[in-house]
Amino acid sequence: MEIIAKISKGSKMDQIYIPKNRTSFAIGNYVIVKPLETEKIIKKPYFYGVKNVELVKLRMIEEVFSIIEKKIVNYDNIIITGSFLDNGFKFNDIDILIISNEKPVDISKDVEERTGIKVHLILLDNKSLMRGISIDPLYKIMLSKCVSKKRIILNVKKEINYKILDLHLLKSKILLDNFDILNGNEKYYLIRNMVAIYLFIKNKIISKDKVDDEIKKMFKLSDINEIKENILNKKEFLKKYKKMYNKTFDLIMDGIKNGAK
Amino acid sequence: MVQNRNKIIDLFIGNISNAIIHEILEKAIDVDEIISRYNKESKVSFEVAKKYREKINPVDKILPSEDIAKIRNKVINNVKNELNIRILKGYKNLNVTLVEETVDKFLKEMKIK
Repeated sequence: MEIIAKISKGSKMDQIYIPKNRTSFAIGNYVIVKPLETEKIIKKPYFYGVKNVELVKLRMIEEVFSIIEKKIVNYDNIIITGSFLDNGFKFNDIDILIISNEKPVDISKDVEERTGIKVHLILLDNKSLMRGISIDPLYKIMLSKCVSKKRIILNVKKEINYKILDLHLLKSKILLDNFDILNGNEKYYLIRNMVAIYLFIKNKIISKDKVDDEIKKMFKLSDINEIKENILNKKEFLKKYKKMYNKTFDLIMDGIKNGAK
Repeated sequence: MVQNRNKIIDLFIGNISNAIIHEILEKAIDVDEIISRYNKESKVSFEVAKKYREKINPVDKILPSEDIAKIRNKVINNVKNELNIRILKGYKNLNVTLVEETVDKFLKEMKIK
């Protein structure tokens, strides 16, 4: 038997009154008194392209959401993405995307203190996010594997801006001259950037897995970790990379020449 | 050692040129289109150039005048070449007159001159 009652104020002690007519709680029985809390509704996050996440990471994600919600009241969404969601614990940091029209609040320090993980924070308003998804292949990769606080509704028309793609591709150029100084993860980001741009121009579907598959195919790799672990055959790799870079650059220049943006 | 220093200077030149080209290309695009990008390597050329600069002696002082002249000329040529490739392929609104002042700005930032 359970009875719900209210604590009332007494002169020397406070008390809880219970009905005299009851079938249990005899005089002299010991009872537990505990507050009646309204059941907390825990909203599960939304998973996109994530097959499974370790329990400890899920707890961290909930922790991140909770920290951000305390600091930023009016947000449109909170998105966790990047290598943190890959299997295992080889990630360098946790990528957090906060979509909000509010003045940006840097919560990196709070999250880093509570989770012990380095934070890569991106603050965007909804309009910029939609624009990014429309013109930037890396946004597509980012949202193809993510966990978000709220549902992500993507109804964005793709637009190719060749000048922007030229700017993005330029970043991948440094791999040609700096193969020895760059670490495996840096190499992976530069290769992925180039391949995503190529697929974007070619109107192919872009997701993290699709881009990784394409990289494996292009460079004849059995595992994408060959790049991240920095064990590529320099001569063989750079030959293919240069060819692919020039091919993508030419496609962009054709686009610019033909009067596109 | 001298050969090694020259190699590092060449690598520095390649990366700083890339960062400058990036800055000039950005100016040719509508401001609204440059949105904060997700990727972490947006300033990678600049950061890699910094890594090489830290290996070129003297690290804390500006370089000897013959080094400054050599680096400046090579960077200007690299940047102009890259921009000219684009102009020849039909790229419009590229402001080549910005090259020298942008190169000087970057070299000062890197304590080259």
